[in-house]
Amino acid sequence: MQLHLLLQQRSNSAAVILILHPSYFRSMSFSSTLLEQAVNEFAKLPGIGKKTALRLVLHLIKQPAEETQFFADTLARMRKEIKFCTKCCNVSDTEVCNICSNIARKKQIVCVVENIRDVIAIESTQQFNGLYHVLGGVISPLDGIGPDQLTIEALLHRIKEDEVEELIFALNPNIQGDTTLFYISKKLKDQPIKITTIARGIAFGGELEYADELTLARSLQNRQPVASYVSMK
Amino acid sequence: MLFLQSLQLVQFKNYSHQTFRFEGPVTAITGANGIGKTNVLDAIHYLCFTKSYFQSGDGMNVQHGMQGFRIEGQFTLAGEALPVSIVLRETGKKEVSCNGSLYEKFSHHIGRFPCVMIAPDDVELIIGGSEMRRSFLDTVLSQMDAVYLQQLISYNKILQQRNSFLKSCAQTQTRNNALLDVLDEQLIAAGTYIFTKRNDFLPGFNEQVLQFYSSIAGKAEPVAVTYESKLRETSLENLLQQCREKDYQLQRSTTGVHRDDLYFSMNDEPFKQTASQGQRKSLLFSLKLAEAEVLKQQKGFAPLLLLDDVFEKLDQERMHNLLNYVCSQFGGQVFLTDTHPERMKNAFADMQIPLQLIELG
Ligand SMILES: Nc1ncnc2c1ncn2[C@@H]1O[C@H](COP(=O)(O)OP(=O)(O)O)[C@@H](O)[C@H]1O
Ligand SMILES: [Mg+2]
Ligand SMILES: [Zn+2]
Repeated sequence: MQLHLLLQQRSNSAAVILILHPSYFRSMSFSSTLLEQAVNEFAKLPGIGKKTALRLVLHLIKQPAEETQFFADTLARMRKEIKFCTKCCNVSDTEVCNICSNIARKKQIVCVVENIRDVIAIESTQQFNGLYHVLGGVISPLDGIGPDQLTIEALLHRIKEDEVEELIFALNPNIQGDTTLFYISKKLKDQPIKITTIARGIAFGGELEYADELTLARSLQNRQPVASYVSMK
Repeated sequence: MLFLQSLQLVQFKNYSHQTFRFEGPVTAITGANGIGKTNVLDAIHYLCFTKSYFQSGDGMNVQHGMQGFRIEGQFTLAGEALPVSIVLRETGKKEVSCNGSLYEKFSHHIGRFPCVMIAPDDVELIIGGSEMRRSFLDTVLSQMDAVYLQQLISYNKILQQRNSFLKSCAQTQTRNNALLDVLDEQLIAAGTYIFTKRNDFLPGFNEQVLQFYSSIAGKAEPVAVTYESKLRETSLENLLQQCREKDYQLQRSTTGVHRDDLYFSMNDEPFKQTASQGQRKSLLFSLKLAEAEVLKQQKGFAPLLLLDDVFEKLDQERMHNLLNYVCSQFGGQVFLTDTHPERMKNAFADMQIPLQLIELG
């Protein structure tokens, strides 16, 4: 049996069956350059292949023209006007984002995360009432990311300025996450600050944004001193 | 007992669609050179290790002109049926499942279906470079200890990060000792675990090798396998400190368990230089059978044994000793290949061991 037949048996939608046939990819030719360009632009997005791009573009064609215009305008304005919060480095509409400027939140507790997706994930647990710091990635020399490419200096500055009492690291539990956590902890070793990391209930090597909310909420409650997680010098 | 009942291959190497059923503990696969005997053994290896014994890329194993392959095996273990399947999708994505559930990480599969392969080119293990011997050691220990495999994967990732870091330091003409300290601590945690396991493993393993060597060779010869590692002299922490300047200069990590080796000797002389062809082969079989034996002791059941082109390798007497042990005393399922069905049949008739013969072609 050919493998694409096996694949066909597994899928239930007729459209997918058609699209999965290998000859389909090779023969994707367009009657319109406009269509082709739009498909190519969508296919540049992460996780979007040519077949999905085509489906999205065909959907837009079916919609009223104003809707597509609104869609395009929204994207263009977002890209042009988006700012980064001067405190937490999260994306924001204003100089200081609405989390940092919320007086009901505890400024002395800062949760350090890799990116905005992690902020959204933790916010949805409704278990955390401090502020965030968005690093913009994790230390990974293999990917050309060293400490200088991240917002580590801004974090150190902020800790002094805002008299932060506790840092909670909520980084993905993998090697680069650990490197980043240990590196920042070392930079702070002479300062009277409590450093914790969310409990490693999440599988090592897993991705924070895919963890279920219960696991995340529990991890926040059971945060651990870094010193007990790995004996630091 | 771990037993593979049947094997289905779809678009795997020279097989477009083929089913094999295995009936007894000993199966011999015979046929002319190039007919696909080794490919069957490699498919079994795939089921146990999620990869080929011979090729590192999955794509090389797809039947020419096709896209994707599928290997399915029906195992039984202590009466329980455990189907395993390996699917390479057209997109190049590999899926491994056991008993109907997909693995999130392939490493979780390793060790559940232990297996030992002996193939003609394996004598490289004795005369070739050190990475083959490390990989041999890692294959044994990973099957015995899932944490070892996790630590090994971590170690290799940290090592890559550390080497990239050293390169980037040279490029930008900067140094960051604070970051190197952190990478070293991470390397030390994983590396020390690996060292301890390797070091604890070797003495017992050496004894097994010695025993097998004398039973295959028919006489006792003082062979020895020892573990060579800088970590036996001092801690990885010290080693990394000592080599830090050198590492910055050479832009790579010059010390650590990735430089370990196994040393083979006979009469306290290096085996590589003094041993004859026959002695090398005896040592190779001894190493592999010792691997099978320690796996059996640890798991409580025997691993699958895959012996490729066995008759090409040893003289008749050594061969007889070996087959007798493997097929009647070892207690596991054994797969053998040979070009001559008659030779196989006669050998097993002489030993009075029942044999399933699969003649290809
Ligand atoms: N990816 C592949 N697609 C098709 N045929 C293959 C592929 N890889 C190997 N082969 C074929 O498999 C045969 C070798 O099989 P092998 O199992 O090594 O034979 P032997 O019986 O000598 O052990 C060769 O004829 C080779 O052309
Ligand atoms: Mg062969
Ligand atoms: Zn902010």
